[in-house]
Amino acid sequence: MSGAILWNGAPVAFRAGESVASALARAGIRALGDLPTGQEAAVFCGIGQCQGCLVSLDGRLVEACLTPCRDGLRVASAGAGNG
Amino acid sequence: MAEPRVLIVGAGLAGLAAAVGLARAGFASLVVDQARAPGGAIHRQPLPGVAAHGLPAQRRRWQNLRAEVTAEGDRIEILCNHRFAGIDADGVALLTGERSRFIRPAAVILATGATERVVPVPGWTLPGVTTVGAIQTQLKTTGEPPAGRVLLAGSGPLLCAAAAELAAAGNPPVAIVEAGRPFRHAADALALPAGYLAEASAHLARLLLARVPIRCGMHLSRIDRHGDTLVARAEGGGRHLDFAVDRIGLHDGIRPNGYGAAGTTVPVALAGDAREALGARAALEDGRRAGAALAARLAGRPVPPDMSPALERERAAQQRLRRIHAHDLGARLVAIGDDTVLCRCENRTAGDLRALGGDPTDRELRLRGRFAMGRCQGRFCGEWVRRLQGDDPADAPLGAVRLPVRPLPLADLIDAGEPDEEN
Ligand code: FES
Repeated sequence: MSGAILWNGAPVAFRAGESVASALARAGIRALGDLPTGQEAAVFCGIGQCQGCLVSLDGRLVEACLTPCRDGLRVASAGAGNG
Repeated sequence: MAEPRVLIVGAGLAGLAAAVGLARAGFASLVVDQARAPGGAIHRQPLPGVAAHGLPAQRRRWQNLRAEVTAEGDRIEILCNHRFAGIDADGVALLTGERSRFIRPAAVILATGATERVVPVPGWTLPGVTTVGAIQTQLKTTGEPPAGRVLLAGSGPLLCAAAAELAAAGNPPVAIVEAGRPFRHAADALALPAGYLAEASAHLARLLLARVPIRCGMHLSRIDRHGDTLVARAEGGGRHLDFAVDRIGLHDGIRPNGYGAAGTTVPVALAGDAREALGARAALEDGRRAGAALAARLAGRPVPPDMSPALERERAAQQRLRRIHAHDLGARLVAIGDDTVLCRCENRTAGDLRALGGDPTDRELRLRGRFAMGRCQGRFCGEWVRRLQGDDPADAPLGAVRLPVRPLPLADLIDAGEPDEEN
């Protein structure tokens, strides 16, 4: 492991080069928050096509499956309002 | 200011083969890819320190192509961690990523691969239910299979391939639920090209060894969540089976992901699965073809035909595979329950579609029904909406091309500066 991201404030370890979705999956985190449509945010396609895995990164909505991890990166549930 | 280059979107087999084709004819290209390394879906590169995946022949195919790219020197530039957001009517393309920017390419080749088809089933939007491709992506990248019990369901040869990869990585799926009855089509199977047969038997040997049951002629009818467990019901042939698992991978084939190819002033071409979903072998061949064809067009020479004997062979093999895996999808779709979500983005159900009445126009489907209007632009619902309406899914896609071709944070646009600041 080469560091940790902060998922809703809690550290989640990651391997160099992997995506936020990949680190969260290893930690057993599958539900990524609530989307405005009433669906739960979660990985579906894994390659940036479905937009189902949106999370908040400094207030920007990004795809967890395409966003690379960096040590200390703060990622929050899209609906959490604490990005 | 450099000569305008060709912009190639996607650094998989088709994209890089196209870049080589162009370079050999004297045209420089910029290849962008959203991933952190070239490879595309098939040759997705593992993280540092993770062993390479795939059969030896597949790895050789990729290494040879990489060597061809290297041999072209600075005629081919590859830019990873960047995404194509579309090209406007004036020929200005927007790239976003580490450094967002506008560019004016001489032409565009979309080598953006395929989208997985997934037949909607109640519960397919639950966390833990993904495409089979998403499971493979994780496995190829990290070398780690998903933890816990995995079920794969749908139809097509990818199910067995992915199951074999999971078995090799130490976590075979609890079962494969395959809607077709592929083992009843021995004659068709034996007529497949040798490479296909060799791959299929390697996979089946692994599945036998790992004792993975393959339930043919069955499909999932619903997925429910009980605490942390997903319970999938498989039905078919008058019986049903329930599977309690942690992860479910769904897959019903692939379709082209050629979004963003309309209405601009420079030539735009499609290559590989983005043009016609024929798989990896065809992607390499079609990329070479697309590169050579675009070079001819840019040079004002006659453009070569868009099919070749090799591509015809792949097309025939894919048709044969579809026959081998044939099942009653049409009947299942007609019977789909009103509560089944079709549009994942906007949570629109089969009942919402039926409520639009007899024969809604595309405009009504989109504006009143909200189908194909969500963030994925209809990639995952368009075909099912068409088919439930009794239309041919090969008709024009329900979602018209909208710019940008995917949702974009405003900050990316601001970061990109002005279109005519040269970069
Ligand atoms: S899982 Fe589909 S966009 Fe990330």
